[in-house]
Amino acid sequence: MTPMGNTRPLLIIRNLKTYFRVRGGVLRAVDDVSLGICSGETLGLVGESGCGKSVSAASVMGLIPIPPGFIAGGEILFEGEDLLKVPESRMRRIRGKKISMIFQEPMTSLNPVFTVGEQVAEVIRLHEKLTRRQVRERVIQAFRRVGIPAPESRIHDYPHQMSGGMRQRVMIAMALACHPRLMIADEPTTALDVTIQAQILELMNRLKAETGASILFITHDLGVIAEMAQTVAVMYAGKVMEAADADTLFSAPRHPYTVGLMNSIPGVGTDKKQRRLRTIPGVVPSLFNLPQGCLFSERCTERRADCARLEPRMIDLGGGHTVRCLKYA
Amino acid sequence: MKRITQPEDRHPFFDQIEKLFKNRTGVAGLVIIAVFSLAAVLAPVISPHNPVENALYDQLKQPVWHTEGTTKNLLGTDDLGRDILSRLIYGARVSLTLGVVSVGIALMFGGFLGAVAGYYKGWLDNLIMRCMDIVLAFPHILLAIVIVAYLGPGLRNAMIAIGIINIPRFARIVRASVLDEYEKDYVTAARAVGSSDRRIIFNAIFPNCLAPIIVQASLGFGAAILDAAGLSFLGLGAQPPTPEWGAMIAQGRAMILRAWWVMTFPGIAILLAVLGFNLLGDGLRDALDPRLRD
Repeated sequence: MTPMGNTRPLLIIRNLKTYFRVRGGVLRAVDDVSLGICSGETLGLVGESGCGKSVSAASVMGLIPIPPGFIAGGEILFEGEDLLKVPESRMRRIRGKKISMIFQEPMTSLNPVFTVGEQVAEVIRLHEKLTRRQVRERVIQAFRRVGIPAPESRIHDYPHQMSGGMRQRVMIAMALACHPRLMIADEPTTALDVTIQAQILELMNRLKAETGASILFITHDLGVIAEMAQTVAVMYAGKVMEAADADTLFSAPRHPYTVGLMNSIPGVGTDKKQRRLRTIPGVVPSLFNLPQGCLFSERCTERRADCARLEPRMIDLGGGHTVRCLKYA
Repeated sequence: MKRITQPEDRHPFFDQIEKLFKNRTGVAGLVIIAVFSLAAVLAPVISPHNPVENALYDQLKQPVWHTEGTTKNLLGTDDLGRDILSRLIYGARVSLTLGVVSVGIALMFGGFLGAVAGYYKGWLDNLIMRCMDIVLAFPHILLAIVIVAYLGPGLRNAMIAIGIINIPRFARIVRASVLDEYEKDYVTAARAVGSSDRRIIFNAIFPNCLAPIIVQASLGFGAAILDAAGLSFLGLGAQPPTPEWGAMIAQGRAMILRAWWVMTFPGIAILLAVLGFNLLGDGLRDALDPRLRD
């Protein structure tokens, strides 16, 4: 086996613009987003609901419904190949085989009329030519790897016979069945309770270490990011506001929005200051009616006169830490 | 150790079957259809006479309970001396075949068109469904007559015609179900593992739409039998001497005052068969439709 270079980028998203044409104009769901993931690394993508995290992921998978959606620009380089330019037939061979996806709702993302084993087998059959027996072996092996007990009998279960945590394990088994290079996990633990959530996160970390696959991990939970990601990008209203490696971001956040998010994590201390939950004032601007200048300016505690006028560019602070704020210009 | 079976351990299919069997009218429908199906399958064994053989000495014999009736012809004979009961039994074959074939045609084409329309939406959906609307705009028996007139009278062409006029019903139902299922996450998940559109439509979505299709199919059987009887009555369907119920009614029409039984028994057969399929259809709807589930 060739040694895995830890800095070789597997996926590079450059200036991606995914827009939606809707009544009353164009919705810029993802606007000029650039991200990079190295082999064997987890990139955490954080942000509030509707900030464009999931649309970014769907763009990588080529799952944006066109119309109303369209890619207005940018490139998505996966192993050197621009996924925005490859034909659909090639994309179908990449999906599930090289890039796979885990969804938020394990309750609904499995087809209710087929057994879970059949559904995992389907993925293997789509991408590899194997005999029935070999496929079955692979399914059982995949189930065992994600920690489903008694896989020989569980493959005959229907999704409704399983708990949420088990179903999410099946989804992970399905995502890993063809040994993908990249796994996209779109809020994989949001629908699960906290203990199961911890188990699933641990499982994903273990499998990542075993397979050397990279993970694009999407969540709105900063605690989960801290546990999973090596690098983090914070999104707001379709733009990346700040990106850095996880340690830097958590110890020294630079963007006022990131600082606000960190402060909004509820504390358990008895300290009087901590007792009251701190929040970011205001609401996320409507994508139909984005403010002039910095998108966060209306809610920012460190707003200056220029903020509502000038749109900040991504500023490199060195060491891979970038931030989109006029403070550092 | 005793294994405790939890109710949610079972596949919902069994719950639905159980629910169907608890529904009395549904079971009644099932029984009627079972009797007719059995008669159709066993026709050569159980029918007392050859259904198409003329017996000129036995013309217009009365049913057995009449003063002049004999046990030789339990339900009497028609004007050519053919045994009514035997003709009814063989007629069940014709009617059931016809139901299967015409519903099959309607389901195949309607299902395909509806699935494609519901999946791709947009202009294709509009094109397909507006065509369906045009078909539905005709009084359907009239349309069937036009098609048979074009293809030529006969049982085979009647089946085709009835199949065609029923395409829009299935197209609509399948389209509605596909639109509904399309929004579900497992469709996105199927796309995310690299399934083609064809696989997603027919292998992932279609099996989830089966419940309303089964209901519509069983109601469609009844309607098809009725339509076929209508066409045969008009002389466009089954041709003599085929023992088809509608054709038997048409034939007995002339002598209704002299020999009521020639026309009445096939009428009752149609009534029972259609009733049976409708009762079963309603029972299935109650059992399969999640919106009616308690």
